[in-house]
Amino acid sequence: MTSLTSFLLLLFTAVAQAISSSGSRLLVVLEDVAEKAHYSKFLGDLEGRGFEVTYETPKSESLSLFHLGERSYDHILFFPTKAKGLGPNLTANLLLKFIDAQGNILLALSAQKQAPTAIVAALSELDIHLPSERTGLVVDHFNYDVTSADEKHDVLLLPTPGALRPGVKDFFSPATPNDEVIAFPQAIGQVLGNGALLTPILRAPATAYSYNPKEESEVLGDDLFAAGKQLSLVTTVQARNSARLTVIGSADMLSDKWFDAKVQKVDGKAAIATVNREFAKRVSGWTFNEIGVLKVNSIEHHLNEEGQGNQSNPKIYRIKNDVTYSISLSEYEWDHWAAFKVPAEDDLQLEFSMLSPFHRLSLKPTVSSEESTTYSTNFKLPDQHGIFNFKINHKRPFLNNIEEKNTVSVRHFAHDEWPRSYAISGAWPWISGIGATVTGWLFFVAIWLYSKPAGKGESKKNR
Amino acid sequence: MRFLRSFVPSLLLAAGAAQAASSWGFDDATLSVGSKKADSSVKEKFSDKSLPKKTVDFGNTDTLKIILTAKEGGKAKRPHQAFLTLQETETGLEAPFVFTTKESGKATVDIKHSDLPVQLLKSTKPLKATLTLASFGSSTGYNNRIFDVEIRKDPLAVPPVYEKPMRYGKREEIHHIFKDDPKSPPKVISLVFTLAVAAMVPVLLIGVYFCSRRQRCPSAQGFLECPVSHGIFYGSIIGMEFVFYMYYSSWNLFQVLPVIGVVGVTSLLSGSKALGEVQRRRLAGER
Repeated sequence: MTSLTSFLLLLFTAVAQAISSSGSRLLVVLEDVAEKAHYSKFLGDLEGRGFEVTYETPKSESLSLFHLGERSYDHILFFPTKAKGLGPNLTANLLLKFIDAQGNILLALSAQKQAPTAIVAALSELDIHLPSERTGLVVDHFNYDVTSADEKHDVLLLPTPGALRPGVKDFFSPATPNDEVIAFPQAIGQVLGNGALLTPILRAPATAYSYNPKEESEVLGDDLFAAGKQLSLVTTVQARNSARLTVIGSADMLSDKWFDAKVQKVDGKAAIATVNREFAKRVSGWTFNEIGVLKVNSIEHHLNEEGQGNQSNPKIYRIKNDVTYSISLSEYEWDHWAAFKVPAEDDLQLEFSMLSPFHRLSLKPTVSSEESTTYSTNFKLPDQHGIFNFKINHKRPFLNNIEEKNTVSVRHFAHDEWPRSYAISGAWPWISGIGATVTGWLFFVAIWLYSKPAGKGESKKNR
Repeated sequence: MRFLRSFVPSLLLAAGAAQAASSWGFDDATLSVGSKKADSSVKEKFSDKSLPKKTVDFGNTDTLKIILTAKEGGKAKRPHQAFLTLQETETGLEAPFVFTTKESGKATVDIKHSDLPVQLLKSTKPLKATLTLASFGSSTGYNNRIFDVEIRKDPLAVPPVYEKPMRYGKREEIHHIFKDDPKSPPKVISLVFTLAVAAMVPVLLIGVYFCSRRQRCPSAQGFLECPVSHGIFYGSIIGMEFVFYMYYSSWNLFQVLPVIGVVGVTSLLSGSKALGEVQRRRLAGER
């Protein structure tokens, strides 16, 4: 009995530990609750990571994203539904309001079911565009699974995404990439706007394209939706409030069938296992704030001058003071806060600004512990007085936004803080000039007072 | 079981090899670049075995046209995917152009400058043109670079404006100061002038002595007549200079003013007596 209780306790603590950094209430919207058996492994993984999952259908009347103005759920996961709309409880407006309230949404779409109008409308608000008539199948005649899609070529085999660009941490590939493939069946592609908030995780290969299987099964029409790398298959949006939305172009890739399916590349010799399960874990983990979440632990700035006070975070500095600024940051990794490490080609930058930045400096790690890293820099304040901000504006793809502002006044030199004239070598001739004048004056007075005519006869004339 | 496991993939492989026998290609291709009005269009015939070798010049009034016959395993057939993709080599940005295909496998594509995205129009290096021919089924697709396109812009036209979209990332460092700290000239120069100024004091004294030794000589007569007032008067003049020195080195105005008052009154009182004595001597012709 004791062992059982301790086991349960252990299980409970394990569950309680492994949890998202922003709440564990997850709403899963399915066409039919029975459909969850189709995705049992994916949903089981989510529950195993500590999410409290609620299953609902769009038709359900008890479904409500908000209760008394507060979010009822922290995260939503949508699977494809048959209906054209999602009903009055899940309108585009409500979904956007949910994002505004810092809720996260993971959206799984499929080429086989039309995307609901509410979702299409919400996505177009975010500048993510789906093919017209909400159907479009992505095919690639060069990278498909030979075993399951020999004829239709609609199961794409994609390499793991890798880093988006230099200086961006790769959250979505296995720790040691080894030519693994992600199977991407019946995908619907998305085209992204130019906004900085949109980031694709997975793009289609260069030879892929999207077509309408109903109308263009024989010949492609003139208006191609998109092809090649313009087609995004897994897209993320991180709003300014750091709420996250991810669109997965293929809901089937989350299904049990493809989690441990064996696939074969076109020129591949042997069947290989997919990494769908790992990829799905990482994408859902990112969306639900389990990875890529930064936290500011503390900010400290002080004078860095000899013989001056060493007070922390003073309200006022003088121009040209030497100042030290440090900020301590942590990054959430699945179930714990860890030290945040800036990627090799990136920098954490501090701005010292009044309206516009006067200084923008890279911070260097100085103190590192298991749970946090302290970044700091020393610099000389600009030669301009006024109200300034120490500003950290760290916005990077896949990391939540960090905006920290500490306001200080910067005053002029006081009259007795300037260097003395004898300390300035250029002033020495002038100082000695004063000395010479003073000496001359004293001699003049002495001569004037204590002298007499040499010959007594001539008295005043020579004076 | 083990046999089966090893057998199944090899069977698949065999099937794949058999299917891969047929592949997509093209023939009878014509590439023409030129405007409709002028007949000076460049025409070049090519096929998948002999690709155009030269870089194609694509002027701003030209139409780039390709006509070809797609073939699957040597037989003319309509492919589902027939794309000409133009790619910017530096950024990797690409624009696909879809061929209009016919049942006979004949495919055509027309490209004008207005069809090209700005990013490609602005490119200074030749664009890479890739032809993709592929379809459903087991045939291997054709996906190869076939020629390079050099964009010739109208030198008189306003160049297209393109602003790179904003991306979050590291930004360039700023170190802004309005004015550098003031600098002194080299110390040697300052020292030379300091010495020159200081040397003027003995020069002055010696000069005064040599110029006036015939007319005047020192005399302590006045001092001896009323030593107290003379001593205090001259002392107060030195004292005033000392107060000025203290003001320069450490005192503030509130410390200086009362002391100046005291020293000033002292010199006034002692001065009236001492200077009166000097006046008396002068009137007596002793000065």
